Amino acid sequence: MKTPALKVDDLSVWFEKSGVRVPVVDHISFTINAGDATGLVGESGCGKTMTAMAILGLLPASGFGVSCAGIEINGRDISRLNASRRRAILGRDIAIIFQQPATALDPVFTIGQQVGAVYRRHFGGGKKQVRQTMLETLESVGFKQADDIAAAYPHQLSGGMRQLAMIAMATVCKPAIIIADEPTTALDGSTRTLILHQLKHLQALHRAAVLFISHDLGVVRQICRNVMVMYCGRIMESTDCESLFSHARHPYSAGLLSCIPRISAGRPEPVSAIPGQVPSAGDLPAGCHFAPRCTRAEARCHDSVPEPDDQTGGGAACFRPL
Amino acid sequence: MTMPGHIGNAPLLEVRNLSLTFHKGKQPAVDRVSFSIKAGSTVGLVGASGAGKSSVARAILQLVKPDSGEILFKGKNIGLMDPRALKTARQSIQMVFQDPSVSLSPKRTVEQTLMEPLQHFEIGDAESRPEKALQILRTVGLDQSAMHRYPHQFSSGQQQRIAIARALVTDPELLIADEAVASLDVSIQAQILLLIQKLQTELGITFLFISHDLAVIRQIASEVAVLYRGQLLEQSPADRFFSQPAHPYSKTLLSFAKGETPPGWTGDKWHLHRGQRPVDEPSACVFAAFCPDKLPKCESTEPAMFSIESGNQHVTGPQCVKCHLYDEVNSHDH
Amino acid sequence: MTRDTWQRLKSDRFGMGGLIVVSVFALIALGVWSGLLGQDWSEVSGQHFEGASAEHWFGTNLIGQDILQRTLFGTATAFEVGLLVTVCSTLLGTVLGGLAGWYSHGWLDEIILWLKGVLDSIPFYLFAAAVAFALQGSPWAMHLAMIVTFWTTTARIIRGEVMRIKEREFIEAARAIGLPGIKTIFRHVLPNTYHILLVQGTIVFVAAINTEVILSFLGLGIQDGVSWGLMLAESSQEVLGGHFGNFIAAGSSLFLLMMGFNLLADALQDALDTRGLLG
Repeated sequence: MKTPALKVDDLSVWFEKSGVRVPVVDHISFTINAGDATGLVGESGCGKTMTAMAILGLLPASGFGVSCAGIEINGRDISRLNASRRRAILGRDIAIIFQQPATALDPVFTIGQQVGAVYRRHFGGGKKQVRQTMLETLESVGFKQADDIAAAYPHQLSGGMRQLAMIAMATVCKPAIIIADEPTTALDGSTRTLILHQLKHLQALHRAAVLFISHDLGVVRQICRNVMVMYCGRIMESTDCESLFSHARHPYSAGLLSCIPRISAGRPEPVSAIPGQVPSAGDLPAGCHFAPRCTRAEARCHDSVPEPDDQTGGGAACFRPL
Repeated sequence: MTMPGHIGNAPLLEVRNLSLTFHKGKQPAVDRVSFSIKAGSTVGLVGASGAGKSSVARAILQLVKPDSGEILFKGKNIGLMDPRALKTARQSIQMVFQDPSVSLSPKRTVEQTLMEPLQHFEIGDAESRPEKALQILRTVGLDQSAMHRYPHQFSSGQQQRIAIARALVTDPELLIADEAVASLDVSIQAQILLLIQKLQTELGITFLFISHDLAVIRQIASEVAVLYRGQLLEQSPADRFFSQPAHPYSKTLLSFAKGETPPGWTGDKWHLHRGQRPVDEPSACVFAAFCPDKLPKCESTEPAMFSIESGNQHVTGPQCVKCHLYDEVNSHDH
Repeated sequence: MTRDTWQRLKSDRFGMGGLIVVSVFALIALGVWSGLLGQDWSEVSGQHFEGASAEHWFGTNLIGQDILQRTLFGTATAFEVGLLVTVCSTLLGTVLGGLAGWYSHGWLDEIILWLKGVLDSIPFYLFAAAVAFALQGSPWAMHLAMIVTFWTTTARIIRGEVMRIKEREFIEAARAIGLPGIKTIFRHVLPNTYHILLVQGTIVFVAAINTEVILSFLGLGIQDGVSWGLMLAESSQEVLGGHFGNFIAAGSSLFLLMMGFNLLADALQDALDTRGLLG
């Protein structure tokens, strides 16, 4: 079997509060193959961004703890690398696209300077080569007049354009893995479609593995082949997108899908809400974290944690899947 | 979403020719917008961000002074009201903001937040007010234990419920929700939408629901009004809007909302070249540059509001569209 | 929220150290005010320039007064000056800064800013001298001069903060129901500045005490009673003659209290700043 582009093995993240260990990510494992896009979906506080930060090694040093059996990029375990080696791979082998391009871009440098800087940091090269690569990258993300964009400052660009600039920074070194953290959440409908289109195009072009983090299942469906649904630090269901949307097997996934309002010409189905609330990280219920809100819960759901029921590690982590 | 047949005929709120410019010399944020809201209905005001939706809301609440135009509440011009009449009107028009973590006063308890409108508008007396506050709190799904806590001690869904409670405590007739569910997670959004539906059916509250999310609008609106760059381009009943949107811009909005790129869409040129918008002539249709169904007339003459059905010229109405394609005179030429 | 703040403060060793030091001095001041300590500060109880002994821990000064007693009394003076100036200038600065910020770019703002500008431009010690002269040596001249000039810093900070806060949505919500400006300022805006005022207060306290020291050198300091500043002023001549009692007692007390306050102020600032942590 081919080596997966990204393999995360038993990753956990926690922080300490008043001497108590509060879990944020709870023993999750997954793989993404080259050329595949996998969505990591969940509501705020479920731990999806923390997962990305842990993979990238970007968690603040104090207050957070991370443990894992391994994080492999193309077979190479990066989790045991020291800080400077870890930093060296950021941007080169694995890159991230953030949600708020306005704050992620440095306002005092031009787009060209920022994209070029990423390339230069990892590959060096003369001015000409860096500039050429930078312009090519800007074109590849969809800018029709790369020269103008390269000379522009972030504040001169619209939200969508800034996001494309961020994508350029993330792809200039042609990384094997791209992590996109809510890249379209702050954008309007038409810009969102444009950005997703560009991401899909780039992903196919570079055969990158994409981890697409979002709270929006609809957006994930447009770009990802597979999807993982996360709740309170654990992966509840892991399957391909079409299967999830046609018949979600975990009660939480199904509940989440029925919360989403649909556009329809005829009378739309009313949304239904999942009863109760997401528990806070410091107050997680024993057993399956979703059990207190689950209409299908039985006694063992409150006592023990269900494992994913699929042979390959996917499927629904549920004792009574739908 | 309900479509009651017994909606009152006189509009509860009427906006006539409202214009608002923030920076002199620049494009107006709100450009001669006219629409009306019938009692008991929910008008969804949609459009991209920056289209002017929030500005319209703020003008209705008199938070900003419009440059021109009138806003009539129950037939009376809000802009001309004396302070006492304005206060009474404000009691009946309340707003729910987008982000409850900043729209609730952080150093005030829930009780203080709910009591403030009651005290300010002199509703009830010292004895009845706490009861009223508690009753409203229960309506939005919270209880007594919330009263003495501060906003930051609640989840965002609960915070938005408190914000809604604050808006409800004066028994308003019109509730303006400005992207009230946009910051919420989808499962909490569903809970709040259900709450809004309950308020629509049980309390008969009229809503002006501002949102860029058409799926949300589909759930709760009885009518849809579309804003684009400050201008109102269409107002239709929701069922009609979602099956047969009239204005070409509405069609593109709907396409994008479904995740599809509308055929013939040339908009991406603008998105990629922000500083180089095609120049609009002042009298042309504001959407002409990107319209897939553009007529030659659209670039030279600004369209009037036409009735979707009859093609007659209209100022406001239940079904109107600002587009030359619906000009009954025009239609004869094709 | 204050519980969290307290937790954070507790975990900051330096901050807690500062708090303890300040508390000890505060207790001493209380002791003096309630008549338990330092009451014999003016009594001539020994020979002049006695060295440190069991009877006089820091020895005596030129006239024969016990330096320790004077130091204890000086603590009360420091706190009296500090508290009075801090409370009054903070009140004045908050009200004026708050109004200026709320009505920013309006006529009230212009007037307050102009006033601020004028006061900031006057050399402080000249001003203090002028006030002392005008009030004909009143013991409150020093406090007044400080209050009248210190409020400007607080006002500037509050003005900026109010201008930021008034853009926030909960202020819009208050305006949407037609709440009058004054009520909005006091109910919704200012309570959100208290954390800044707390830190600023400690800074003003320190500045007041320091200023008193310098005023004492100029003869414009405390007129009735004794302060560390006065003792330091006295000591400037004395050390030439090898008598360090005043200098050591007053100097180290001043240093310790300042240090304590500074550590406390820094720790308070960190403890109150909730933004840096993940919510």
